[in-house]
Amino acid sequence: MSTKTVDVPVEKPAPAGRFPITIVRGSGRYRAGQLGLVALVALLLLAGASAEPFRVGQFTSVLIFAIAISGLNLATGYTGLLSIGHSAFFGLGAYTTGILVVSYGWEPLATLPVGVVLSFLIGVVVGLPALRIRGLYLALVTLAVGVAFPELVKRFADFTGGAAGLVIRARQLAPPDWTGLRLGQRHLWLYWLSAVILILVLLAVRNLTRSRVGIAMVATRDNEIAAAASGVDLAVVKTAVFGLSGAITGLAGGLFAMYIGALSPDGSFTLLKSIELITGLFVGGAATLLGPVVGAFAVVFIPYYSADLASGHVSGIVFGAVLILIVFLMPEGAVGLLNRLGRRIVRITTAAETGSDAGRSAAHSAEKEGEPR
Amino acid sequence: MSPSPDQPPELRISEVTLRFGGVTALDRVSLTVAPGEICGLIGPNGAGKTTLFNCVTRIYRPDAGTITFGDADLTRARPHRIVRLGIARTFQNLALFPSLTVLENTLVGAHSRTPAGFTAATLGWPGTTARHRRLAAEALDILTDLGLRDDAHRPAAGLPFGTLKRVELARALAARPRLLLLDEPAGGLTHAEVADLGGLIRRLSTERGFGVLLVEHHMGMVMSISDHVVALEFGRKIADGEPAEVRNSERVVAAYLGKAS
Repeated sequence: MSTKTVDVPVEKPAPAGRFPITIVRGSGRYRAGQLGLVALVALLLLAGASAEPFRVGQFTSVLIFAIAISGLNLATGYTGLLSIGHSAFFGLGAYTTGILVVSYGWEPLATLPVGVVLSFLIGVVVGLPALRIRGLYLALVTLAVGVAFPELVKRFADFTGGAAGLVIRARQLAPPDWTGLRLGQRHLWLYWLSAVILILVLLAVRNLTRSRVGIAMVATRDNEIAAAASGVDLAVVKTAVFGLSGAITGLAGGLFAMYIGALSPDGSFTLLKSIELITGLFVGGAATLLGPVVGAFAVVFIPYYSADLASGHVSGIVFGAVLILIVFLMPEGAVGLLNRLGRRIVRITTAAETGSDAGRSAAHSAEKEGEPR
Repeated sequence: MSPSPDQPPELRISEVTLRFGGVTALDRVSLTVAPGEICGLIGPNGAGKTTLFNCVTRIYRPDAGTITFGDADLTRARPHRIVRLGIARTFQNLALFPSLTVLENTLVGAHSRTPAGFTAATLGWPGTTARHRRLAAEALDILTDLGLRDDAHRPAAGLPFGTLKRVELARALAARPRLLLLDEPAGGLTHAEVADLGGLIRRLSTERGFGVLLVEHHMGMVMSISDHVVALEFGRKIADGEPAEVRNSERVVAAYLGKAS
């Protein structure tokens, strides 16, 4: 059968030669690669911990940001629900920890699950409008949530400390005894706690996005009508994703309260925080697992070094210029770009895919659109 | 994968009316797709064929009339429930998920069959991954059957139009439908491909045991594979019967010749 090849851009054929190297999932080389990756992460974290305390603090805020942006990534990156209100979840987690520690004398670590549950519930509620409205209109609803949060904190000053802020005493933030760390090593405790939580969050996001739920999330983002016609319950996907997204960002907020020790509504929980999270997400790479980590480095370190280059408002301009440059050069984000380049070098397949090619009957190959080179 | 032992339910559309503002898109349309049969739905552009599809799949809700599938009342179901009841569809203008691969697109089609729990997925429970693997293997079988095996891991974005048409078909098949709604599956295909497609639809319908409601402008294909043909014009039914009967109906001939496009 003569088939006419339609003139549509088809994915470029793999470059000739040894690349891409094909690695079968579950094989010895794959396991070795996994082990190597684990060792590399452990080494990087150990190196980070051995830096001077100020640096460790900076790295901790990178880890916390990475958690917060990972939360946003679920809603905005994978499911296409743009949220400008995630500063509210960050703040909700932070204030939950702050209030429970200051007013009720809770152990800080024990407050984190409370903040997660609260943020999840509020996230589901904020996600409800997503059932009716989409795109920029949904963004407007989340914007309202983001605007309202600092005002609510000020309104309920008895509870939250209001505009004056809420201060957690250093003694209450001491590392637990079982860590063997002294009071003066609080920075190490928070660094390792944030690192462990970030790893757990990344594992959860990886599991979720690789599952059929994750496929349904991307399908919802790409084409809602077709997703529903395929049996995806849009209401469940959108509200659950928004809840989970809020919960993870709220968890980061709780860690942030432990890290910063003093909370004020106009400090870290305004719309600017939301913008920072969105910036980190798109610089690092939306809908990629590690994009939020790279994005967190960018939003912590670029302003820090641009402040070295110039002072005052000029440093903000330098920060802006660097961001424009990054977005211009890497529209899919740093990790998106790396992933694309990486696929040319290494291809990971499953055993089933490599074995069955020979079994294809000639009748089927006759139906193919274009010949593979 | 094996042909279903039990007969698929009957689709019964009765007296369905749908208005958009002052325009009556469907005017008391009734038709029945018998269990397992291929029913062709023809008519000039704007006759209401796709609108009728959208009523069956609950993208639109009819202003009046009932649509039932076996015992289920489709006018009351939510959109994602339709496919769980066994009705899968394709779209006239491709409605794929461009950022997903061909295999993943197909897997979305299987979504209706087993619930995908958020909690289990997040924790990566072994049951979930095993089920995912089983569904993926099944999806690969469908892709192989449709000659799409080599494209399985390519993103849908950027593949040729004819390939994407078949990906949509694969996605619908992954739902293991009892009734398949095909909206102009031959649109944009070459002559030889159209003939192949007709045979493929016939074969799949028999092998997998589902009925088909087929909207198609390609008369040769409709007449050769349909058990029964319904013609619409301006939202009204103008003919319903055996293919030859409908083809020779005066009103159908007039509708087509009167609206030469």
